Amino acid sequence: MAELRRNARQNHLTLAKQVISIALERGLQPGEHLPEQAFSEACGVSRTPMRAAFKILEENEILSWREEEGYFLETGPQDGLTEAAQLLEEMEDSLATRILSDRAARRISDVQSVSALVRRYGRSRSTVLNALKILARDGIVTQLPGRSWAFQPILDTPRSIEESLQFRLILEPQAITAPGFQLDAQKAGLLRAQMQAHLQTRQGRIGSASFMRIDTEFHGFIAECSGNRFARGALLAHHRLRRATQKDLSIPDFRLRQSLEEHLDILDSLEQLQFDVAADLMTLHLRRSRIRRPEAANRGIVPLTRGPLTRGPSA
Amino acid sequence: MKRRNAAPVIAFFPEASFGAALNCIGIAQELTRMGAVPVFICHPGFTGVFADYGFKEYHLPGGGAQASAEDWQGFINTHMPHFNLDAAAQLEPYVAPTWEAIVDTAIHAEAGLSALLEQIRPDGIVLDNVIMFPAIARAGCAWVRIVSCAETELPDAHVPPYLSGLAADDPARAGFEKAYLRATRSAHRRYNEFRRLHGMAPLPAGVFLEPGDLTLLLSPEAVRYDRATPLPEDRFGYLNGCVRSESRFDLPRLPVEDGPLVYLGFGSLGAIDTDLITRMIDVFATLPARFVVNVGGYLDAYTHVPDNVYLGDWFPQPSVVEQSALFIHHGGNNSFCEALYHGVPSLVMPYCWDGHDNAQRAEATGTGVRIGRRDWTPDSLRRAILQLLGDAPMRARLAAISEKMQASPGTRRAAEAILRLL
Repeated sequence: MAELRRNARQNHLTLAKQVISIALERGLQPGEHLPEQAFSEACGVSRTPMRAAFKILEENEILSWREEEGYFLETGPQDGLTEAAQLLEEMEDSLATRILSDRAARRISDVQSVSALVRRYGRSRSTVLNALKILARDGIVTQLPGRSWAFQPILDTPRSIEESLQFRLILEPQAITAPGFQLDAQKAGLLRAQMQAHLQTRQGRIGSASFMRIDTEFHGFIAECSGNRFARGALLAHHRLRRATQKDLSIPDFRLRQSLEEHLDILDSLEQLQFDVAADLMTLHLRRSRIRRPEAANRGIVPLTRGPLTRGPSA
Repeated sequence: MKRRNAAPVIAFFPEASFGAALNCIGIAQELTRMGAVPVFICHPGFTGVFADYGFKEYHLPGGGAQASAEDWQGFINTHMPHFNLDAAAQLEPYVAPTWEAIVDTAIHAEAGLSALLEQIRPDGIVLDNVIMFPAIARAGCAWVRIVSCAETELPDAHVPPYLSGLAADDPARAGFEKAYLRATRSAHRRYNEFRRLHGMAPLPAGVFLEPGDLTLLLSPEAVRYDRATPLPEDRFGYLNGCVRSESRFDLPRLPVEDGPLVYLGFGSLGAIDTDLITRMIDVFATLPARFVVNVGGYLDAYTHVPDNVYLGDWFPQPSVVEQSALFIHHGGNNSFCEALYHGVPSLVMPYCWDGHDNAQRAEATGTGVRIGRRDWTPDSLRRAILQLLGDAPMRARLAAISEKMQASPGTRRAAEAILRLL
């Protein structure tokens, strides 16, 4: 029970959604009282986390609070309670996305207190905590002793992007050749259609953001099909991190198209059960995907006689 | 001259800088559309850059150990203070050693370049550089010189002295020309000796590169000089910029969603000065606009980025400039031409080389404003940005320039001229 309580405390959002499920199951109507004790027992948690969950629902105008009476349902099943729950989740996700995108853009530092985030985003403590927990699920932040949270490395520098690529070169081909790879044919078909649609756009019109989306979807799909559960888990988490933090890719149109063609070739091989070929194509694709930037500059910065630069000093 | 290949193979050899490389990509893209086969001879630091645009690369041997972070730091420690000097004061501490380095580069590259040209057997060579390589003269095919720094590379009485940042009729002209010759004398003597060893005639003092069989100047009509001695049309041509096709840039959502977009890009060298860019970002935070800032490989140097600022290590510049209301740059000709091509005002903060010349030209032609790297205060920078964002007559002038440039893209003109030459 103690473990259950601890878990529940760690995710007030889940609890809030559980409250909505119970309200829906019991057919509660607007104006009906939600007794703390009864809901605490129904959810298997103490009254403190239940109050936190009620507070989230109050902030989102799903419940109201009356002095010395407690919480009452404001939104009933006919008023869109299900949608409210959905919105609640999206809102939490959206704050998590904002926090992450601000970290990736270096607007906030890599160690944050909940209070600082509450001040920055003008949201309640519980809302911020829930957003942090969403990020923690993907290993993007970890809680430090005390009240601070630390961001883990994200794909925001040339060095981290290079490290990501090296990591993927080790794992992605292995994810394909590991015994038990199962291609989801229906999803493969959908991805193929999306990539072909991109290839049919006019030159220069494939946007970097939409390419990134389809790229992480494709690589995430390969991971999902892997027969090795550890490779699958590690790669899925990594692609989520890529999708969330590696947004500003600026790849020439030629390479974007070449990359999509390479995805299609990999799918072809997988559909023909040629896993070794698919793994080799994946290696080739990843090597070609190494982002190239001019690494030298003339006008005296480093004469050719002294050889090329590998990276700037920061990398 | 007889062609060697069924589809003409054109070997591009841009110098190791962003501007030259990207100009050449624009022309090469157009040549591909016309059925030619452009290939790139590239410096070791540019490996893969041209391949990502679909071009075959040939690599010059790097030689020696790779430059280290200490080399960078050494360069920064030595030259950063020089970027704060005016053009004349930069001659001895910066321009002179830079020419020495460029001559070293030419000497070192010669054998490798010669071997590559024998391997490629091109029908034509396009050189976008500031110095001649004897291997090109010996290659047995036509060669094209691209003047991509500034029109001032080709001297004329009505054109200001190269790298001076002066107007053509500035009283300081004679003094600058004399000082320039003095600063480049040693490198020039060495270079002429190198030419003599390879059977090439010496060049006049201060000149390191002769005209090609065809010379194309990247100088849009709006900023072109009225020369005292016009360049012969059969061997010289002007280009209205060389803006390449790039992938589309999707501006990420910023916490501040309103306000015009301003792009800052100081080129490969300029990104080194993270202190300057940090101080500028502090000013940006106080303005009702959104800023996209190219910080090169120095993202780690920045923390606490304001809500209206977005940093990146590389952007598809033409696409960002197209969406911008103002472009803050260092006066690189490539950047200046992209601003003109898209009708965007320039706020030019030059730090060296052709940046001085283009900054002067932007101001003289009413297409931008020059601001000194060490002269500005937060207030004066703020005022300059707001003034340019609100300058309707300048915007109208630039819109007309942009329309003309887009109607006659330099990339197409260059590709046609190159193919006619072969």
